[in-house]
Amino acid sequence: MEDSATHSAPLIIARGLTKQFGELKAVDGVDLDIAPNECVGFLGPNGAGKTTLMRLVFSAIAKTAGELTVFGLTPMEQRKQINAHIGVVFQDNNLDEELNAAECLLVHALYCGLDHRTARRRIAALLDWLSLTAKADSRIRALSGGMVRRLMIARALLNSPKLLILDEPTTGLDPQVRHAIWAALRDLKRQGMTILLTTHYMDEAQQLSDRVLIMDRGRIILSGPPNDLVEAHLERYVLQVSGVPTVPPLDGGIRHEHAGDADYFYAAAEQPLQALHERLAAKYAILRHANLEDVFLKFTGRGFNE
Amino acid sequence: MSSSPANGLSELHQPIRLRTSLFWSLYGVWYRHFRVYTKTFLANATPPLLEPLFFFTAVAIGLGNYVQPGGFEGLSYRTFVASGLVISSAMFTAIFETTFGTFVRLVFQKTYDAMLGTHLRVSEIFVGEMLFAATKGAVFSTVVLLVTMAFGARPNVWCVLVPVVGMLTSYLFASIGLIVTSYVKMINNFSFFTTGVITPLFFFSGTFFPIKGHYVWLDVVSNVLPLTHPIEISRALFEAHFTPATLAHVAALTAYIVVCHVLALRRMTQRVLS
Ligand SMILES: Nc1ncnc2c1ncn2[C@@H]1O[C@H](COP(=O)(O)OP(=O)(O)O)[C@@H](O)[C@H]1O
Ligand SMILES: [Mg+2]
Repeated sequence: MEDSATHSAPLIIARGLTKQFGELKAVDGVDLDIAPNECVGFLGPNGAGKTTLMRLVFSAIAKTAGELTVFGLTPMEQRKQINAHIGVVFQDNNLDEELNAAECLLVHALYCGLDHRTARRRIAALLDWLSLTAKADSRIRALSGGMVRRLMIARALLNSPKLLILDEPTTGLDPQVRHAIWAALRDLKRQGMTILLTTHYMDEAQQLSDRVLIMDRGRIILSGPPNDLVEAHLERYVLQVSGVPTVPPLDGGIRHEHAGDADYFYAAAEQPLQALHERLAAKYAILRHANLEDVFLKFTGRGFNE
Repeated sequence: MSSSPANGLSELHQPIRLRTSLFWSLYGVWYRHFRVYTKTFLANATPPLLEPLFFFTAVAIGLGNYVQPGGFEGLSYRTFVASGLVISSAMFTAIFETTFGTFVRLVFQKTYDAMLGTHLRVSEIFVGEMLFAATKGAVFSTVVLLVTMAFGARPNVWCVLVPVVGMLTSYLFASIGLIVTSYVKMINNFSFFTTGVITPLFFFSGTFFPIKGHYVWLDVVSNVLPLTHPIEISRALFEAHFTPATLAHVAALTAYIVVCHVLALRRMTQRVLS
């Protein structure tokens, strides 16, 4: 994977990749090509199979069927060679709570195979880059959620990975912290890191990903650059209203969706929606550009589908 | 946060040499347990060290006054009990480490997930863990040996080898603990194992009285129990009395370790990679 001949070959290839837990197909016939230096966002509701797919990539579970290669190697059989070049930020924080920040990183650096001196050097650099130097001696319990998450990112970078896997990196964090983490991840992207990102935040996927894959019930149901997806699958504008008892007959060119107490009207132009807006006596109404969230909801359904 | 993106970060992208040897992997895992354990060393080590000393005071010193003068097998009663307690303390620390300890790491702290995100093999992860338990066993049996000597146990000079037996005992019981843990779904299931298996093991492996020569069935049972063998070896060291039976105990302990080590790794691989 070092030589230039194979440089543009996909880093990850999956064909019909399937993982079954008993009867449940958590990952169901996934086809995937991840190019080097690509940042790919996996979007999907809870239980869609995002984490399971990531776990297949770093050999934490064996596939049930299909093909998977990572760096041209076979997961499980060659997990040592593969994982030496992967960094993982897990969905659940799993730093050693008894230790302080620097100790947590040191312990992980040793797992990765760094010697003590290299480990200390990289830990200092990573803590500095993520503005955590002042917290080096703090117990994990004493750190805020955002700091712990940044520490998880630092930990995943200790071995200088070629591929970074981020499983819901900013779930549950406040907006400031999320933006700071995105900035850090964009730094990494600029440096040429290949990134797999799972999230159920559309803005996160849109901000960071060259390409998003929308997953539902173990399948990839849609894939493409975030803006292309919106253009390809939705009208340009949407009027979102709630509390409208009856919907009047609609002009041609307006598409209507109903979910819960909300109604969505889509159209290619703004004008007919503007007119509709005035006709409807809605408690709440907003006329806006259609976005990735609308695409997501269109394809995964607007009800609860867990 | 990304005030100095270019320089600081490109430094981080320098290729580094990773040591992926078996030795370094085991060391990494061992070091993690060592750091976490010693972080709260007093809280961790005090109760399990006090326990054998309570037994020693109550049984060897207290009850010992009523035991036949001259003790057993050529050892004073205090020395006899000490030779068992140095080993049972190693058993307890190892069992605790890989039942409750491993379960908490597996289910609640997700420590092994973090390890599995690296190049570490499952076998390396758990051998490293058993080696840490073995280290604790060596330390515990040494401490119990020294303290019981301070309270009147009089072992032969061969007892300098007791920490080695303690270490092997801990490795064995760490692997037994892992086998049990691989089946356990809820943490309170362990109480069946500790009261149903470990407690009888403690009482019927010859710590407090010689098992041999009372009933044939008891001889047979005690020779099947894994704790009997290291205790007999320890006792041989304490009295510097080596017989063919001692060799048989060494062979039995070795066989137990090999079999349980293999089973533990097989079971934990199944449990962790699913
Ligand atoms: N180890 C497991 N055993 C049984 N079922 C599992 C296991 N891991 C995940 N699942 C199930 O597989 C499905 C996908 O889970 P997951 O990959 O975690 O989804 P996501 O990360 O998209 O929320 C869920 O229904 C989940 O309950
Ligand atoms: Mg998940």
